[in-house]
Amino acid sequence: MNAGDDMSDSDVLTAVRDSLSGMPLARPPDLDAIMARGRAHRNRRLIPGVTGALAAAAVAALAVTALAPGTHPASRQDGHQPTVQLAAWTVTKVAGGNISVTIRELKDPAGLQNRLRADGVPASVRFASKQNPACRPYPGGTPGNLLTAGPATHLLKRVFPKPYKELSLLPLPRGPRHMQRVHGRPPVLPSLSLKHAVIVINPSALPGNAGVQIGVSSNGSALLLPQVVYASSQCTG
Amino acid sequence: MSNEQAEFADFFRASWEPCLRAVLAVVGSPQLAEDQVAEAFAKAWASWRKVRRHPAPRAWVVRTALNTGASGWRRRSRELPLADHDLIVPGDLGDGLDGSLLTALRRLPPRQREVIALRIFLDLDNDTIARQLGIEAGTVRMHLSRGVMTLRRELMPRTTTGG
Repeated sequence: MNAGDDMSDSDVLTAVRDSLSGMPLARPPDLDAIMARGRAHRNRRLIPGVTGALAAAAVAALAVTALAPGTHPASRQDGHQPTVQLAAWTVTKVAGGNISVTIRELKDPAGLQNRLRADGVPASVRFASKQNPACRPYPGGTPGNLLTAGPATHLLKRVFPKPYKELSLLPLPRGPRHMQRVHGRPPVLPSLSLKHAVIVINPSALPGNAGVQIGVSSNGSALLLPQVVYASSQCTG
Repeated sequence: MSNEQAEFADFFRASWEPCLRAVLAVVGSPQLAEDQVAEAFAKAWASWRKVRRHPAPRAWVVRTALNTGASGWRRRSRELPLADHDLIVPGDLGDGLDGSLLTALRRLPPRQREVIALRIFLDLDNDTIARQLGIEAGTVRMHLSRGVMTLRRELMPRTTTGG
């Protein structure tokens, strides 16, 4: 006879709850950021007589001013760190010395670049189609097919050890609005979603003379483009 | 801080973890669950005067988070696929956690997962779950029964006794 046969429904549910309850969770996000985001939702509902793009643009402005551009969560003793921050980008040190970069909005590239450099990643970050001309591609450091979900070359697989997530920047159709977003100007119909790109970097896998470049490709589809480039003071600091 | 803000802050602090665990049980991705629950709490604050009078405010947050997720999944279906590493796998779990049980949970139909999550993390009864999901209480019982039956089968081999 199986002991499982004797388990009541309550026993089964308790076993499931215990299994999930043991899983470590990220620290709750900052309450002020949650409330700021909530105010943006509320204001969107309260705008009377304004429809369509104008309403969306107004809410976007409120949301942007309410949120900090970037965050770098503090370490915790148990090694588990929060990954949720309602900000333009988040840099988190994760297991194995890897660094997880979550980008929600194309804002404050200089802040993100400084944050990565402070965390030991020689980096160049530009949220514009024109990249830093001082950066030269490292052999095997540029993905071939930008629409694939994961790195292609051996070097890319080591430097970016996890499949990329959500590199696509916007669901808007191609055209003038598309390019406006790529160049960092507000699009006519801004997206208010929390869509985020996630790029995991393994700094120890970088060759000694290499760094990371995060930019934007506007070749066909608007995508965030992580690459390995030659390190130099003009490019990666 | 106003009384209303203090009240919401208390609710947020007390409810973040159970709501996150409930959503995590349904969506299977920690990061996705965290983002969706954060967004749901933001919406709860936007509608706090309504939510605070809700018979099950935590259930409201969980349902809102899952609805947010549905929209997100629809968006993603037009973009890049969800990467495998974004889902819970046994290697992501700490010591003592039952990866096979969680895998079995993930294989349940979404509605069964949702019913189970609302039951075990928010401790809601069938009638309340039914109101939250907009279905009949009998349907809740059916989803719960079928989900538990599947999970029990997952538990059985590991609790088999000899002799």
